[in-house]
Amino acid sequence: MNPFSICTKLRPLILSRSAPTLNHVSSLLPTGARLQRIAVAPVQLRHKQTFSRTQMPSRPKPPSDDEIEESFLKGSGPGGQKINKTNSAVQLKHIPTGIVVKCQETRSRTQNRKIARQLLADKLDLLYNGENSRQVIVGGVKKKRADSAAKKSRRKYKKLAEEKANVTGEEQEQEGEQEDDDIDQTPDPRPEPLETHPENTVKLETVDYAIDDSQDTKRIV
Amino acid sequence: MPRLPPSLFHTAAQIHPLAPRLLPVCRSLASVRSELRWIAQHVLQSQSSHLVPPRLRLWQLVDLRATGLPLQYVLGSQPFGSLDIKCRKGVLIPRPETESWTLYLASLLSSSSSPSQGLRVLDLCTGTGCIPLLLSSSLSARNTPLSSVTGVDISPRAISLAQENLAHNLRLGTLLPSTGSKIQFLQHDVFSPDFVSTLGKEEVDVLVSNPPYISHRGFATDTARSVRNYEPKLALVPSPEKQALSSTEHPEDVFYARILHLAQQLESPNKVVLEVASLEQATRVVDMVHSSPELLREYKTIEIWRDEPAYGGGVIPHRIEGINITVSVRGEGNGRAVYLSRD
Repeated sequence: MNPFSICTKLRPLILSRSAPTLNHVSSLLPTGARLQRIAVAPVQLRHKQTFSRTQMPSRPKPPSDDEIEESFLKGSGPGGQKINKTNSAVQLKHIPTGIVVKCQETRSRTQNRKIARQLLADKLDLLYNGENSRQVIVGGVKKKRADSAAKKSRRKYKKLAEEKANVTGEEQEQEGEQEDDDIDQTPDPRPEPLETHPENTVKLETVDYAIDDSQDTKRIV
Repeated sequence: MPRLPPSLFHTAAQIHPLAPRLLPVCRSLASVRSELRWIAQHVLQSQSSHLVPPRLRLWQLVDLRATGLPLQYVLGSQPFGSLDIKCRKGVLIPRPETESWTLYLASLLSSSSSPSQGLRVLDLCTGTGCIPLLLSSSLSARNTPLSSVTGVDISPRAISLAQENLAHNLRLGTLLPSTGSKIQFLQHDVFSPDFVSTLGKEEVDVLVSNPPYISHRGFATDTARSVRNYEPKLALVPSPEKQALSSTEHPEDVFYARILHLAQQLESPNKVVLEVASLEQATRVVDMVHSSPELLREYKTIEIWRDEPAYGGGVIPHRIEGINITVSVRGEGNGRAVYLSRD
């Protein structure tokens, strides 16, 4: 059995409110396989917890500065007054693990240094805590919420379609005796899905370039 | 400048319809992406103060940037340390190298003992006022007492912008009102004979400056197009009248000679930092200090700081050929500043 498939089977157990018991886990294993304790790095270990909708694990703390090697994007050439660069990218390397993160989110280098440190902290959290890291837990909760919303809307449209089908069925039975002219005019039971046109939304990294026309017409009027 | 392949413009068009327009000035897709994002953020944030619809305004600003106008002039600001500095045509845009050494100087000042009545800081050729404002902000954040902070510039435009920046950062809360009341900006010529007397001060603890330091030849050959075409030459190249005062073969160094002379008149400030263009210019300034017995007697520490004085693992001795002086060089990057200290 491939370890990945065990992970995917374990995932709903970990994300559920009750902590998985040994029986749960061993039931997933192929016959003859035995559970074995694996030593994990003793840093930043988080106890297995269950999290409600409002309570999420706190953001991981960035490592201390002597574990980080920091470098700035250096333009080739003279620098100083002679050039005028807008890029203030910051690159951090975590010396013990060799993880490298880069940030050029904002124009401010001070701000980029802060963001890069948080990115590094998130990566280390994922590395050390794996399934218990903040990223996985928050992502799991979000996915669960999105899944249940999708399920609800699917159910709703299915129900609507069924109702429509019943009504048109009955009408057809009644009208069928008279004339078959206006059958084509029955509206599509499913309304148009709310999709934004790709020309209106162009997403670049974090900022949405779509500028809402409704807002400015409101303001000008 | 290397030619950009046409395929790059096609790729840019897939990012955003306006992206190809920025490509000739930005030169790389990563930089186009960032600048476009910053311009869009600016448009969305300043939406309420403009009657132009945001989509049109984005187009206008991208068009302005595509002419080569520096992004800081397009957006009207540049972050500098924890501050937000307003930028306007006619005043030099603050550079990240200046930010680095200013923050490093602030950390040095707050760790060394300071006079009980507070530090007196003087910045010559202040421009936007970025250096005195950032020094005040980071010194007050580290609880180092300040007595007075003065910025001087010859340009009335620079002085009015510096005063605006002081008010702007007080409003943003990046400067405390108790610190802001100690900062003043004066319009004055550093070369005027009565400079020290009109300053109204006999002594200064910290003297800093980022004077014009580019030669006429360097301005024509080394500067970026956006700098050459849009930033004030007054702030980059010493004017011909001032260069005429210089007796050396490097007339672009004329401001350093004047500022070192002023340092002597101001009773040798505890610390002096002068920004320079390169390691070569830095060694010439160190040579100037060595050729004056008064300065050499006062200043025990003479260092050259590179772009990032806080990084690169401390001080490396550097031997200057020709004049037989060994000077300590700190940090990594290009030679960026000369640091003199009495301690």
